[in-house]
Formats: sequence, C-alpha cells, structure tokens
Amino acid sequence: AAEPWPENAALYQQLKEEQILLSDNASSLAVQAFLQMCNLPVRVVCRANAEYMSPSGKVPFIHVGNQVVSELGPIVQFVKAKGHSLSDGLDEVQKAEMKAYMELVNNMLLTAELYLQWCDDVTVEEITHPRYGSPYPWPLNRILSYQKQWEIRRKMKAIGWAGKSLEQVLEDVDQCCQALSQRLGTQPYFFNKQPTELDALVFGHLFTILTTQLTSDELSEKVKNYNNLVAFCRRIEQQYFEGHDKDNSSSATSRSAKRSLLR
Amino acid sequence: VVVQHVHFDGLGRTKDDIIMYEICDVFKAKNLIDVMRKSHEAREKLLRLGIFRQVEVLIDTCQGDDALPNGLDVTFEVTELRRLTGSYNTMVGNNEGSMVLGLKFPNLFGRAEKVTFQFSYGTKETSYGLSFFKPQPGNFERNFSVNLYKVTGQFPWSSLRETDRGVSTEFNFPIWKTNHTLKWEGVWRELGCLARTASFSVREESGHSLKSSLSHAMVIDSRNSSILPRRGALLKINQELAGYTGGDVSFLKEDFEFQLNKQLLWDSVFSASLWGGMLVPIGDKPSSIADRQATYLSSFFVVFVFYLGGPTSVRGFSMYSIGPQSEGDYLGGEAYWAGGLHLYTPLPFRPGRGGFGDLFRTHFFLNAGNLCNLNYGDGPRAHLQKLAEYIRWSYGAGVVLRLGNIARLELNYCFPMGVQSGDRICDGVQFGAGIRFL
Repeated sequence: AAEPWPENAALYQQLKEEQILLSDNASSLAVQAFLQMCNLPVRVVCRANAEYMSPSGKVPFIHVGNQVVSELGPIVQFVKAKGHSLSDGLDEVQKAEMKAYMELVNNMLLTAELYLQWCDDVTVEEITHPRYGSPYPWPLNRILSYQKQWEIRRKMKAIGWAGKSLEQVLEDVDQCCQALSQRLGTQPYFFNKQPTELDALVFGHLFTILTTQLTSDELSEKVKNYNNLVAFCRRIEQQYFEGHDKDNSSSATSRSAKRSLLR
Repeated sequence: VVVQHVHFDGLGRTKDDIIMYEICDVFKAKNLIDVMRKSHEAREKLLRLGIFRQVEVLIDTCQGDDALPNGLDVTFEVTELRRLTGSYNTMVGNNEGSMVLGLKFPNLFGRAEKVTFQFSYGTKETSYGLSFFKPQPGNFERNFSVNLYKVTGQFPWSSLRETDRGVSTEFNFPIWKTNHTLKWEGVWRELGCLARTASFSVREESGHSLKSSLSHAMVIDSRNSSILPRRGALLKINQELAGYTGGDVSFLKEDFEFQLNKQLLWDSVFSASLWGGMLVPIGDKPSSIADRQATYLSSFFVVFVFYLGGPTSVRGFSMYSIGPQSEGDYLGGEAYWAGGLHLYTPLPFRPGRGGFGDLFRTHFFLNAGNLCNLNYGDGPRAHLQKLAEYIRWSYGAGVVLRLGNIARLELNYCFPMGVQSGDRICDGVQFGAGIRFL
C-alpha cells in the first residue's frame, strides 16, 4: 500500500546560480526528474553547505518526513518502499539491462564530468575553483576547493583515469552517447512507453551537459551529434518541467537556447 | 650592611638583561634580614620565568680588595633547563579524559621565550597545538603568545562532531590588581553529524565556517586556590566580537563568571557563584552552535559556555541537556544565567585527617539556572522575563575530591527541580570531573 508522501518534502542542493557544479547539477536534475515522473512533488532548497549536510557527502539529498536519503540509487529504493516505482512493469531481463545502462552512465558520463571539472586545468581555474568556493570567505574558499580537487584527483588515480587526456575522455563520452543512442532508437523512452529511473538519470546528465556553458563546447557537441538524444531531452523537459518553473533548475525558456547553469 | 656584588653561576644561554631586572631589588637591601628576604623574592622571581630548574642562594661576606667591612656578596647558583624537555600528562577536562604528550623548548633565545608543542590523544578525539610565548623582559606578567592548533571533539548531547583549526595571538598584561588579555583568533570550523540519527537542525549546521574575532578578557582573582578555595573572590568578564576582521561569522558575545568564598566556623567554607552570558548575532544570519563554545587551548578542551546542565553546571541534569533542543539534540542558547550556593565541610568524623583525608570535602549545594534563545524583535525586558520563568534548579549533597591544583572530582546525590519538558535529568547519583564547576 502506498504511504502518503508528505507535503513538505524537500530536495537539497548547492546554490544554483553561483556555486553548483556540472556533475552535482546533473545528479540533482536526475533525482528531480525521477520524482516528477513518479508524481511526487518536492521543493528544491538551495544551501551552500548541502554537500556537508548530506549523510553520504553527495548531493542531492531529500528530506522526507523524518528521513534523509541521498543519491539517486538509495532514493529509488526509498521511494519504492513507500509504494511508488517506475520499473515495476519491467521483467527481470529488462531490469538487469536498466541497471547495466545506469552503471554505464555513472561510470562513464559522471566520471567524465568530474574529470573535466577537476582535472582539466583550464576548467578548474576558470570555472570550478571560483564556483566551488564562492560562498566562503578568503582563505576558506581556496582551502576547500584545493581539498576537494585533491580528493577527486586521488579517486581518478584509483580508477585509472588520471593518465587519460581530455581527448580520450571526450572519446569515452562519445562512446557512451553512442550506446545510449542505439538503445533508445526511435522510442520515446528507453523502455518504450513508460519512463524509468534510467530515463531520469540519462536526462539529468545529458540535459545538463547540453545547457551548461563551459570553457569550450566540445562536451556538448559530443551529445549533440546524436539527434535522438537531444530530442529525448527536449521531450522530457517539455513533459515534466514545463509549467513548474519556480522550483526547478530548467525553465520554459526556448528549448534551443543555451541556459547557463555554469557561469 | 650593603650588597656589593651579586654573582651568577650556571648561566648559559640566558641573556644578562632579563636576569638584571629580577635581581635589582637585592641591591637595595639595608640589613641582613632584608638581604635574605629580597634574595628569596629574587629567587621566586627567577623560578617563575620558567627557565631554571633550580636556583640556590648563597650569602657571604665580601672578599677582595674593594671589600667594605659590611659588604656582602650574594651568589645565585642556577641550573638552566635543558634545551628540549618532554612531558606526559593525563588531563581531565569537563567529563573527558586524555593523554597529553608535550615537547617544550624553554628559554629558546635566552630571554625566557618558550615554544611548546602539545599532542593530546583523548577519549573522544585527538588534538594538537604549537605555541610561541614571549614575556617582556623585566615584566613577566606582560607577555604575548602565538598559537596554531587543531582541536577536535565529539559532543553526543548535540550529536555533533567538530574540528577547529585555528591561529591566535594574545597579549596579557596586568593593570593594578586585574589581569587583561587581548586576543585575535582566526578559526576554520568544521561541523558534522555524529550519527545518522542526528536531528535535522544539527544537520543544517554541518559544513565549514571561518571565524575571525577580537576578544578581551579581564580576570580578578584573589582566591587562595582555584580548586576548592577557602577564601577570596574571582571575577572574570569576557567579550568577543567576531566578523569585523574577516570570516563569515558575525556576533558579539559577553559572558562573566563570579565566585565568592568565605571561611566559616569549624573548617567549613561557604561559596557562592554566578555565571551569565549573552550571544548576539550581528546581521541576518542566526548564530551557530559553534558560536556557543569556547576553546581552552592549554587543555585542548572545548567548553560549552552557552549550554546548561550537567555535573559541572546545574547538577542533577544530564550533561548540557537543558533548554532548546530538537529531536533530542541540545542546541544551547543565546542567553543564560546560572548560580550556585555551596557549603563545604570536612568529611564526617574526619578520617585520614592531616593526610589523604584532607583532599576530600563534603559538599551541600543549591544550583539554579536558565537558558533561552534571543528573539530579535523582543526588547530586553521580554528576554529578562524569559530567563526568569521556568527556572531549573536542584539541590543535593556529595563528596568532592581535589586533584592537585588542577581538577576536581565530585560524587553527588541530586534532586533536580523545575524540570521542563525536553530536559534530561540525572536524579540520584551523579559523578563529575572537571576544572570549571558551577
């Protein structure tokens, strides 16, 4: 039986205009899309310390009733326990496939976003450092961004991405988009008629990549190469985000206009 | 008599000028008793510099060609401390214990400068600090020090963990009978939840902040001891202004501590104490939990000034568990007062008299206090009214043990009263260990 979803459910992320980075914005948008698809209203609250408030250290997290849950995976589980699910109609094979594609997005797209933000020197200096430390006074802003950079670079080394060049990373992004594009084909959603958490996740990342202004357009160009993916993003934006401008990170501005989510 | 020469044996790296200041009075002595007294005083002054392990005084008649018939020679035989000394202490703070390892470089450049490095491994977390101390030659009570530190702590009453990394510089100087301290402090504070079950109010405070503050403290202390004094009074007034020298935390903090002790018949002592304070945030951001504390660097303990309750505060209540709280996590307040009346007597039938038994005292107490948040909008009258209603108080009796000149242990039987919903009490037997008791 479905448990009632409280009125004051809130989703926490960093400050939209000045602080949030590409990867966190993508993750937040994915969760927002997922909750919209489940028809569970949630208001977006922006806090400078959202990352530290989160129990796992990652944004976004939702505060529902007395509970605090962070990241898409656990949120999907949490919502399922409350009786709402998007992937109930899938059979075992499809579920496994969905999990595999979600892993692909997390391991490829998300990691590529992190690489670009924290390991590409130009992006780090012009975009990441100023944004990440913006809510804090000197010298705390410097200390926190360097600390985070060191942490991410260590993670990159652990997974073997430290040696990659920017071109290689963009190649990986291209391959990932190709796989997604092939799976999507001409269908409206990845599993035909109904959206699932995979659609929410892919939308979150691709839409953010398309609408974020970075130091160069290379990343968004890789996604733009695949028309069905761009159409997919537009479709989801129209269906789930238009008419809810106040709280969501995308708005009903012209679909082809670039909305700067970074800078 | 007249003192013709003062000799020093055993000076190594110590510079002459600071020695001269401490012994100049010896030359003014007019008779033998005076010489002995002034030499003794000079010896005390030399020892308090913290640069000599031993100072011995020899007084002899003057020899030599220019000797007067009533001339005297005073010789100070000193042993300087080694260049590097280590120490190991266990410290008992306010209900926490820790092992403190220290490295000290006394008398670094010859004028009683001191560099200390301390590392504390505690029941809760570890902390360390480096400090440089320099007194003014001739005026040891006027000194300045620069400190660098990292103090971490876990505070289960608020489900909070905190790491403070900071730098501070302070000037101490006496004015007449009072001691003043001016300090600038810059701290990077990191707050986090101690458990998954922390309340959302505490979760909202997680994260980083930078405090840059100027503070001034005045202390007048005429007590004969800081632990279980028999007579004298203490008045400490402290104010801190944060936000005008950088950082993102802005507040004005005032707090005071007053204690009066009077010896009565039959070796008993009556003691009265009063604490109070106010924390006013400046600007539109509300005050943070971290603003309600003070860090004692010498012992690496974080003291919860704007919290109430516990064996070192209003007894009979659980540690810091009075007042504003959220889901069981206590958040402290922005204004408080607390008072205590105590009667200390020797143990009944005086066991171990003249020896070990003298460290123990029986203790009857009456404690009271209140804590609230400031409602910006209400005037001072409304706040005074808030502090006067719903007063928590308690009474009881117990035994106090004095640990050297540093700490005190108490075992009391308490009756908490005036308990409000949300407070956590500890009625019955309560144990407390610490330095600063109400």
